[in-house]
Amino acid sequence: MRLFRQDLHTLTGAYALDALDQGGEQARFARHLDSCQSCASEVRGFREVATAMAFAASTEPPAELRDRVLADVARTRQLPPEVRTHARARRAPGTATRTPRAPWLPWLSGVVATAAIVVAVVFGVANAHTHSQLTAAQAHNRALAAAQASLQAELDQARAHDQVLAEILGAPHARLLSQVTTKGGVADVVLDAATGRLVVATSGLPALPPGKVYQLWLIGPVRIVSVGLLPSAQSGVTRPVVATGIVKGDKLGLTVEPAPGTKQPTTTPIIALPLPV
Amino acid sequence: MNPNESDASQLRPATADRRGEQDLDDLLVHVARGDQAAFEALYDRMVGPVYGVIRRVLRDPSQSEEVAQEVLLEVWRTATRFDPAIGGAATWVLTIAHRRAIDRVRSTIAAAGREQKTAKVSPPHDEVVEAVEASLDRERVRRCLETLTEIQRESITLAYYGGHSYREVAELLHVGLGAIKTRIRDGLIRMRDCLGVS
Repeated sequence: MRLFRQDLHTLTGAYALDALDQGGEQARFARHLDSCQSCASEVRGFREVATAMAFAASTEPPAELRDRVLADVARTRQLPPEVRTHARARRAPGTATRTPRAPWLPWLSGVVATAAIVVAVVFGVANAHTHSQLTAAQAHNRALAAAQASLQAELDQARAHDQVLAEILGAPHARLLSQVTTKGGVADVVLDAATGRLVVATSGLPALPPGKVYQLWLIGPVRIVSVGLLPSAQSGVTRPVVATGIVKGDKLGLTVEPAPGTKQPTTTPIIALPLPV
Repeated sequence: MNPNESDASQLRPATADRRGEQDLDDLLVHVARGDQAAFEALYDRMVGPVYGVIRRVLRDPSQSEEVAQEVLLEVWRTATRFDPAIGGAATWVLTIAHRRAIDRVRSTIAAAGREQKTAKVSPPHDEVVEAVEASLDRERVRRCLETLTEIQRESITLAYYGGHSYREVAELLHVGLGAIKTRIRDGLIRMRDCLGVS
């Protein structure tokens, strides 16, 4: 479905009330907000109206809820604050393009993220299911045991908070690409060709000597752009990195560079994965 | 409904609990640093609207409690990602709450089969126990809702309190999709102006 800008703008109200279809429509509009400052500020105002409506609906819950929540809190670790590790995602504080959701992006832990990619592929991509359908499908699949339940919780959180990551993992036509590096280890990529974005995570890459880093690139026919450094691995697996703005002809490259990274690659890529967009 | 109606509009700050908003942002910043006492204070301030809005959408008390518990734990876990420069703490928390309630509605519908999709109309109602301190907010919002056209008011309440998508709202009100989008937006603009949201 193609929507013109004018039509998109009138969706600010429905979006602020969470009344868009949760499949592609909500994701599409969230992307639109990145480039439409007036829409974003309108949504902010509308959300304040929603806040007032929520206060107007105030209801005291049963008193036991407090104890249960506080008990949960006492045994739950908080997410680490967001540390932006890749140049493209970095935006100056207070710039107009930030959306209300941007600061709440959590990163999945590497292991869970890689597993999430697999689950997204199995449920979300292969069956062209959206995340919400995935939620429903999983709710009914008794075979998926406790491990998947916690994975689901992570996925839910990814969906709620890391819009970009969740959008890519949940994109209806996302593709899973994978390449073994020339140094060993493998890079797994979920590519959403429709929006020119991808998520990449690696596993089993050899550890580097001090002063060296892995750096990701989008290598195009006319230019090479740094995506940022590969985060350090935990148990051999790196946290997912998002790359945006992929255009036809781009390859995903990975090189070993002197810390803290370089403007252009200085060594032969250990991966050059063609990105079919 | 409220004997102090005339006072309410004069005394009430522009948006919900605006006087306390700064404190609420501060509280959340402390929560982000692992301060459990700050979380308890935040809980006491926010649990009413959190549970209230979830209850409006889901209706079922035990489900609502379950979702509220998830939401509040999520507030604790992700407080580290809250940025006061983007919006207030109350809005941040309540956006999570409403979205979680909607997630629950949509996944329940998907699980139960599409035929139930538009089975229930959930107009706002006051059957639940009302907290006294919420009555001014309630009155203010009620007055502003009254300034809307009927279609605007119904589409906003069906979407927000009823948890319906705008397509479902269009279906329920027998209005075209394009018109519903516009009514919701126009209605929210009026609400925004009426409530004095900046």
